[in-house]
Amino acid sequence: MTKTEQEDTINWRAWYWLVLGALAAEIGFFAYLTNLFA
Amino acid sequence: MSLLDWLVLGGTLLFIVGYGTWRTRQAGRTLDGYLLGGRQASWWGIGLSIIATQASAITFLSTPGQAYADGMRFIQFYFGLPVAMVLIAIFAVPIFHRLQVFTAYEYLEGRFDRRTRTLAAGLFLVQRGLSNGLSLYAPALVLSALLGWDISLTVWLIGGLMIAYTVAGGSRAVAVTQQFQVGVIFTGMVVAGYLLVHYLPAGVGFSEAMQVAGGQGKLNLVDFSFDFKDRYNFWSGMTGGLFLALSYFGTDQSQVQRYLAGRSQRESRLGLLMNGLVKVPMQFGILLIGVLLFVFYQFNPAPLTFNRPLLDQVAASPAHAPQLRKLQAEQATLSVAQREATQQLAYAYASHNPTRIAAAQTHRQATDAAARGLQTQAQALFKAAAPTAEAKDTDYVFITFVLHYLPHGLIGLLLAVVLSAAMGSAAGGLNALASTTVVDLYRPAYPRADDLRCVLVSRWATVGWGVLGIGFALFAARLENLIQAVNILGSLFYGAMLGLFMVAFFLPKIGGRAAFLATVVAQATVLLLFWQTDIGYLWFNIIGCGLVVGLAWLVQRIIPLQASSKA
Repeated sequence: MTKTEQEDTINWRAWYWLVLGALAAEIGFFAYLTNLFA
Repeated sequence: MSLLDWLVLGGTLLFIVGYGTWRTRQAGRTLDGYLLGGRQASWWGIGLSIIATQASAITFLSTPGQAYADGMRFIQFYFGLPVAMVLIAIFAVPIFHRLQVFTAYEYLEGRFDRRTRTLAAGLFLVQRGLSNGLSLYAPALVLSALLGWDISLTVWLIGGLMIAYTVAGGSRAVAVTQQFQVGVIFTGMVVAGYLLVHYLPAGVGFSEAMQVAGGQGKLNLVDFSFDFKDRYNFWSGMTGGLFLALSYFGTDQSQVQRYLAGRSQRESRLGLLMNGLVKVPMQFGILLIGVLLFVFYQFNPAPLTFNRPLLDQVAASPAHAPQLRKLQAEQATLSVAQREATQQLAYAYASHNPTRIAAAQTHRQATDAAARGLQTQAQALFKAAAPTAEAKDTDYVFITFVLHYLPHGLIGLLLAVVLSAAMGSAAGGLNALASTTVVDLYRPAYPRADDLRCVLVSRWATVGWGVLGIGFALFAARLENLIQAVNILGSLFYGAMLGLFMVAFFLPKIGGRAAFLATVVAQATVLLLFWQTDIGYLWFNIIGCGLVVGLAWLVQRIIPLQASSKA
């Protein structure tokens, strides 16, 4: 299997959504903490 | 510092530097091997290298101090970073990998012309050359405060060690040492956080500590209100922070070089995404240490200023020493009252009794007002006694705690964290400066130079930039806050650079002349705006980028100087 073929097997869209989803969850958590201690 | 601390500090640093140099002893045979480690890096190696290049000693010294003084709102600065990682993985990585370039600027010659490439390389060299000096200054500050050494000597010592292993092993030595450095950094962070909670009085746990900090406005993590002049809010983070991260990771050779070293496009992308996942929680952890420091010093006597050299300077002044002693006596009395009030407040929170909490808060507010009054007097005294000295003490807060409260052995470990992080970050920058000098300036001028010659020039460029960084570090003591200084410096240059790359990637009809002119005008405008206005620095990333894109489009429309791009 070549490097290019290996790359094709990765679902990049899922990876990108994972990173962006983690960011959204973190911001939500931070907003919760900010309001909790405001 | 005990003998044990020295052994831990010296042993950790020598092991990391020694191992890195030994592992990469054959790195100088080809230019590809020396500058990009033969393009063999795995995704986790790239991810760690990216983290280590960004996280310098400044991150460890300045960030907790910033949270101590200003709360955790600095976290918002990093909100744009994960988005930037995704965008770079989608758009920039495939282009750089397809062209197999050594530097990001090399791509600009194919896309525009030699002149534009040289301009971009020049902007990078100026910006990174200066900020690398700042990265060196931070750990030198620690050692000079710690050992009483002359700061120049300390800068030369740390800089010299870093130059030595970067010259010897090139990019691979930088990457190998950075992997250990990140390991030491995470260990140090966890240990410091644990001990800060452990040192709180009996009956005051993490939950009560958070409530005390929250009551003092330190848990101000997210602010959705929009203010153009506010440096840190959600909107500045998601726009200015995004643009800064796009510029830093997409166009700054010190980061581009890290993922160009990947063995495939897949490894480079995964390395970037790993950084996108890790960075925000990591910064949250470092800022949390600052907040815990704040709580810790509510229960323990804090000095009038953490800036020990400033305190010593005022104490040595016959005209101001009596006033200082008077304020210090008042501070000691007030510390006892503050500790009492904070303890009452913490116990009230634990009891969940609203009446008790309200009474404790009122008591605490009274001691806070007294503390603010005392601080105002102290600041006036410092200004009168040492008008040119650094007034802010945030960079000294964390290290003061380490030196005064950590057990022997751990002091050495935490200092090793600070110093190795500093060297890792500055070495990444130094390596990129050398690469850009050779690939973008030397090689185009001397196209017949062979690989060995280019490696030799790279080594000398590393020495040259290292010495220049050391020189700049010697002036850094005058700057307000280290991490802000680095970010401000970056924001002044990154906007135009990002705009140039945006034009290159997304506007294929715009030619070299329009791009070059737009970049020059935009860069001059940004510097003028910084000088003449008080716009928050993060916005300069957007302004610079927008100006380049807009002006390039306009120039291309008005003067049809060049046909469509060559790429």
